[in-house]
Amino acid sequence: MSQANEQTTASDVTISELLGAVKGFLMDSALPALSGRDQFNARVAANVLGIIDREQQVGPELAALDAAAAQQWLPGDSGSGTALQQLSRALAAREIDADTDFFEYLKQRQLLVAAINNPRYASRKVAEERWRSES
Amino acid sequence: MSPDQLTALLNTELGESLAGKVPGEQVTQLERLSGGANNETWRLMWGNTPLVLRRRPFSADSIDQLEGNILGLSLADEAAVIQLATSTSVAVPDIHAVFDASHPIGEAFLMGFIPGESIPQKWLVDDTYEVARSRLAFQCGEALGRIHSIDCSLLPANIGPTTLDKRFAAAQKRLHAFGDISPVMQFGLNWLIDHAPTEAPCVLLHGDFRTGNLLVDEQGLAGVLDWELTHQGPAEEDLGYLCANVWRFGHLQNPVGGFGGYDDLIAGYASTAGWTPELSTIRYWEIFAALSWGLVCQTMGALWHSGNGDVERAAVARRRSEAELDILLLIEEWENA
Repeated sequence: MSQANEQTTASDVTISELLGAVKGFLMDSALPALSGRDQFNARVAANVLGIIDREQQVGPELAALDAAAAQQWLPGDSGSGTALQQLSRALAAREIDADTDFFEYLKQRQLLVAAINNPRYASRKVAEERWRSES
Repeated sequence: MSPDQLTALLNTELGESLAGKVPGEQVTQLERLSGGANNETWRLMWGNTPLVLRRRPFSADSIDQLEGNILGLSLADEAAVIQLATSTSVAVPDIHAVFDASHPIGEAFLMGFIPGESIPQKWLVDDTYEVARSRLAFQCGEALGRIHSIDCSLLPANIGPTTLDKRFAAAQKRLHAFGDISPVMQFGLNWLIDHAPTEAPCVLLHGDFRTGNLLVDEQGLAGVLDWELTHQGPAEEDLGYLCANVWRFGHLQNPVGGFGGYDDLIAGYASTAGWTPELSTIRYWEIFAALSWGLVCQTMGALWHSGNGDVERAAVARRRSEAELDILLLIEEWENA
């Protein structure tokens, strides 16, 4: 939270802060009051809030990367669907030459996707060390 | 179904099934065990005997129509394979009763309880299991060699032989059915098709032989659980699957399930199977296992969209990104090797 101006009190609550507040409720209040499957699911739900928070932060960068890839690799008439669907279908039809540049795009997009969905997955550390310097 | 409802139902239904097999009159201490995204697993006491109930809580007709067996066998077929495995010296539970979908309990089977630690986060790190861990890769190889020696002509009719082309076609069909949302998964499938090993004879595979499905005690492997993904395929598939990154629980330095090395696994396998698998073929199947895990995650998402399952299943759909990351890492390692 910003401490730039000592004369005012911050009143806006950002999406991230709202998600943090709900997560706090789930972990600190709901979870101890639940048991069994519900308690397990409360923990899962708290993790899901983290995914939402990270996606709203990283999502625009990911969308821009995918749009640029669609521009670069898709043939003129690629049908309907999202950039990802068009890229997937063109790959399935072997219409994309999956060269080094294309592999590089997949790696960079996957670093972002992993950062959103499962930042603690062990392979991500390996991928970050190996691929981050390449970008 | 709540634990109380299930207890009442089991009390009404189990007496007849267990008469003469397991002494007891009623169910106590019914408790749902974790894990198993397709099937529920419950532990219970019948009289003084601990038992385990596997039960499919939903109908998945729409998904079953797709080829491949990512969702798993019927529980009756799973029980039949476990019974076959008891003829080898692989540690599996006794099957006490099997119920089909028309039974009030639902599609389910009841089996014995094998003591041991099933939570990898414990047995992968606790000092108690240090000796067990040092033996486990060899023991897993031994067990897989034995499973693969089971005569496929004795299997239920639904567990037939297959070919790599059929497997690729089934995976492609799923990627299309799930909306073609992942260029990484498609890239991985293309790569697997382009680098397919020579077709090998089919054996009975456990199909889900991974760290989370092993029961471990201080001596090592105590039991092999969760046979719902059993199918036929090349032997190295089971070996590669056990080594997939996603099942190493963060212990990436130990390629066999987060606890062991390739050499021990291969030596154990050779000791019971009578031949030595190639490491490169095992590594190919690690990449296939990553794709399969991604497809399982997508299946969970599709099931959740069809109204089956709770927040965990929705969340598992997002774990597809683990599979995608591993597909790219492993292909890069292969290409650079």
